[in-house]
Amino acid sequence: MSMRPLDAAVAPSDYDGGGVDIRLRADASSRRPALIAFSLAIVWLLLGSLWGDLASFKLHWPDFLSGAGWLTFGRVRTAHLNSVVYGWASLAMIGTALWMIPRLVHQELRWPRVVEAGIWIWNVGLVIGIGGILLGFNDGLEWLEMNRYFADPLLVIGGGMIGVALLATLAARKVSHLYVSVWYIMGAFVWFPILFLLGNAPWWSGVESAGVNWFYGHNAIGLWLSAISLGAIYYFIPKVLGQPIYSYHLSLLGFWTLAFFYALNGMHHLIGGPLPTWMVTTSIVASVLMIIPVLSLAINHHMSMVGRFGALRYSPTLRFVVLGAIAYTAVSLQGMFTALREVSRITHFTHWTVAHSHVGLYLFVSFVMFGSMYYIMPRLVEHEWPSARLIRWHFWLVLIGIAIYVVGLTIFGVLQGLALLDPQVPFERSVTASLPGLYLRSLGGVLITAGHFVFAYHCYQMVRMPAVERALPNFYEVRPVIYSGAQVEEAS
Amino acid sequence: MMFPSSLAVILTGILLGGLSLAAFGWAWLRGQFSNLDAQSTVILDTRDYLLERPWETGVQRAEREAAYGPLVKPATGEWGGAE
Amino acid sequence: MTRTWILILGVCATISFALILLVVLPQVLLVQVQAPPQLQPYSDVQLRGRQVYIANGCLYCHSQQIRDSTYTTDVERGWGARSSVPADYVYDAPHLLGTMRTGPDLINVANRQPSPDWHLVHLYQPRAVVDWSIMPAYPYLFEEKDPADVQPSDRVVTVPAPYAPPNGRVVVATPDALALTEYLLALKRDYPLEASQAQADLLAGLICVPEYGPISARDPQTMP
Repeated sequence: MSMRPLDAAVAPSDYDGGGVDIRLRADASSRRPALIAFSLAIVWLLLGSLWGDLASFKLHWPDFLSGAGWLTFGRVRTAHLNSVVYGWASLAMIGTALWMIPRLVHQELRWPRVVEAGIWIWNVGLVIGIGGILLGFNDGLEWLEMNRYFADPLLVIGGGMIGVALLATLAARKVSHLYVSVWYIMGAFVWFPILFLLGNAPWWSGVESAGVNWFYGHNAIGLWLSAISLGAIYYFIPKVLGQPIYSYHLSLLGFWTLAFFYALNGMHHLIGGPLPTWMVTTSIVASVLMIIPVLSLAINHHMSMVGRFGALRYSPTLRFVVLGAIAYTAVSLQGMFTALREVSRITHFTHWTVAHSHVGLYLFVSFVMFGSMYYIMPRLVEHEWPSARLIRWHFWLVLIGIAIYVVGLTIFGVLQGLALLDPQVPFERSVTASLPGLYLRSLGGVLITAGHFVFAYHCYQMVRMPAVERALPNFYEVRPVIYSGAQVEEAS
Repeated sequence: MMFPSSLAVILTGILLGGLSLAAFGWAWLRGQFSNLDAQSTVILDTRDYLLERPWETGVQRAEREAAYGPLVKPATGEWGGAE
Repeated sequence: MTRTWILILGVCATISFALILLVVLPQVLLVQVQAPPQLQPYSDVQLRGRQVYIANGCLYCHSQQIRDSTYTTDVERGWGARSSVPADYVYDAPHLLGTMRTGPDLINVANRQPSPDWHLVHLYQPRAVVDWSIMPAYPYLFEEKDPADVQPSDRVVTVPAPYAPPNGRVVVATPDALALTEYLLALKRDYPLEASQAQADLLAGLICVPEYGPISARDPQTMP
């Protein structure tokens, strides 16, 4: 792809953005809030990973630690989900958004103290909510289990404080053009509170409560988790490569079709269920129409990368972000496929669905968040990652782990589904057929958790090391290293 | 018989859809979507373009130099071993 | 895009559209669904049991919905005489339809397992009655007592030998275990749907193939 010449029609301030100066000021303004968000995200990542491993062990060793209520599978599994979704993923995305928005709009983060307070309030909500789940306080709706009176309001207040500060930053911006990542991030911060309040409202009952449950559940995935992750991909790929995204027209199409179709997908979690058929059909149609934004994104990301995949050897950011982008295409195609009634007959209610959700929530969202943090952290702590070796250990542990996880549960989930489908086959067979997959999932999960501890340790080292004095402000631009790492220690 | 195909629902759908299209059209005419190529470059400044990247081929490097100017070489130890 | 408010407006418009179509519209329709005459609201004990079900995460392995027999084999498998309809769930708040069948569907479990004692033993240690089960045990929903300490009002659970507590202690069900059992025994939704004409029209517009008529002669199955 040939280079585009600098476009004189755009005002210079939009290009050089005041040069280095505005970047340093933007980074300085988001430093504390983003670091707090990232640190807490990592705490929840470790906790959530441990809960996940424990839950996985309990499925094939059902009597493992089964004596106490707070360790029973049904509570530990839920603690895992809420920790990784509202703890790790949400806080990592909040940290990413806090760093990106000031950079994108050339305006220092407004009201940083409000943001910090909001982050802490969010976390108090999480402690109450997840602690409550372990003690048996569960609202009874998947993805909405945290107590709606004592935990959820804190998330709403805390998240709201962060959201309004970002909005205020946006209002005071110094650029005239809003880059596509801004659309995704601001969209997410408008959509999420609406969804969260709606889903947690106590007045739904009957099958309508199921419809609302999955309207929330799928949109939390699509309009909160995916949205900010996609915004991050749109920023980091061009930024590290040093050239603009392949087609801005496609990103426009992708965003608005995603906004329009994604929100209608939710009922595909209830295919075959006691819901009005037209609702389910609407969601199936919308799920298939997702091919439009998904293809737009896939083409855009791929064509931007083409000829430059070598960057994955050098840049940890791109290694994670590009794999995450590929995973987004994969999980979306999976989703479209399984939304068709004939396929859902086999996969619904099986471990296949768990594998699918981890392709989305881990291989896509979490990988993109790892990539974001590998780029942003040096700019917050003002020095480079101390060890390329630790980055590589992190990468390979989590990649091999998730591969084993997904392949194992996908294959054995389908076998489980086929057994369930045949009425002559006793139910017992569906359980025994899935067991090898459950063991593989535990193996994958342990590797993933190990990778997380490596990452956490490395981040801890990052934060403890002092900033490095340089003639030029270091690492305000692209300087990450992963290939042939010995020299990195020298440079630092 | 079927509620979703009743007249009220169809008209509401057309109205909502029409409003959205109208809003989109108005935004288009007001220049919200003009100069898209320039919009895609707002995140990159001169230095982003000028950094020499070790994964680029000779042809890509030459293109970059032709478009933006002399490339900035990595410092010692950066990118894992550039001398 | 240069105007923030257009972005915000567009973003609100897309979610509003989905909300109207998939939340508001269905609510308008579904609020008209009436409880079938054969379906009783849950008693207080059953509601307490339902909370125990939720608190211990039973819904993460068990579904509570029978899919239509023209679509798949839930009915043939013996999990219900007919597919589930919205009217079956009018007293369920929140719904517990579930998304996993690591364990069997439970919406008609009271037909397959009508014995409270079976449920109590099964909850105490599932492998005592189903040796291939991977369901967790719930010993904390029970107390172990010396036989001498057992009150007349205590519900003693007879646990088979390898799983019984040592030293001759007996297992006594706590109120939570008893409530959960009561709830599970309330799970049967196989009454025939004898709908009035208005209800029939409504249901016909709501669901694909409503199954009317008397329950089939199928015998309640034992453990699926």
